[in-house]
Amino acid sequence: MFLVGSFFLFAAFLITTCIFVIFSKNPVNSVLFLVLAFLNSTFLFILIGAEFVGIILAIVYIGAVAILFLFVVMMLDIQITTLMFNIKRYVPLALLFAGIILAEIIYLTVFKTSKVNIDTFIRSKNNTEQIGDVLYTKYFIDFQLSGIVLLLAMIGAIVLTHVYRPTIKRQNIDSQNSTTAKDRVQLVKIKSGDGIKDD
Amino acid sequence: MTSLSYNHFFILSLIVFIIGCFGLFLNRRNMILILMCIEIILLAANINFVSASVFLNDINGQVFSIFILTIAAAEAAIGLAILVIYFRNKGEIDITQINQLKD
Repeated sequence: MFLVGSFFLFAAFLITTCIFVIFSKNPVNSVLFLVLAFLNSTFLFILIGAEFVGIILAIVYIGAVAILFLFVVMMLDIQITTLMFNIKRYVPLALLFAGIILAEIIYLTVFKTSKVNIDTFIRSKNNTEQIGDVLYTKYFIDFQLSGIVLLLAMIGAIVLTHVYRPTIKRQNIDSQNSTTAKDRVQLVKIKSGDGIKDD
Repeated sequence: MTSLSYNHFFILSLIVFIIGCFGLFLNRRNMILILMCIEIILLAANINFVSASVFLNDINGQVFSIFILTIAAAEAAIGLAILVIYFRNKGEIDITQINQLKD
């Protein structure tokens, strides 16, 4: 009973925060509600025993993605009033789309009910061990590929946002390494009382 | 209805998915909100994968949920980079003007 009650509590919070994400006028509020939504889904995952994915969701989404959003939202100087969307224009399309998916839900829940229950678990290992068993063996190639995807995303983001400014002085490592002592230091013999001649 | 079933999570993930799609359709101006709606949709997919994995007692769903997470992070990084350079060029993030990029 505790499980069901907690589920409904977190699910209600999740749906409410998702709605607030969409309808907030200020993008900063939207991002903060998005963080709350991710936190609620983390609770839900931990509730049904998927602890590893839940914590990863908290770390990756809240710690990285949502904060990235927050940085971008705060960096850009956005006029909020110009972004007030014209609700009346798009409501029929959105309602049509939502209605189609709602019909699918009703079809699936009324005609195809699943009988699987949470009480029928057989737990030999804990959740993290189970994931680690398959992630590094069966899905090894996929794991490496996802690393490549992340690397590409990082390089792409840097290339896209990098601005080349020719006025900034930079370190030229090649010319630094190819210099010899003669290029830099000149030995001059100075007679007493004569001073240095400037060429 | 004294215990949780897969249907609870299935309906929850579909509701979250609908909210994400609804926001995507409703809001055609703000590019940041569109990216956030995509994140909500991916979150719905994650909830579906993980709950199916738990209730079918099969760990593969959770592994794929981690892959979805990876792709979502990459997508957010690229999308926000595009957003930043678009804002730098145009001074706004109105997505209705983005078709001028083809000129």
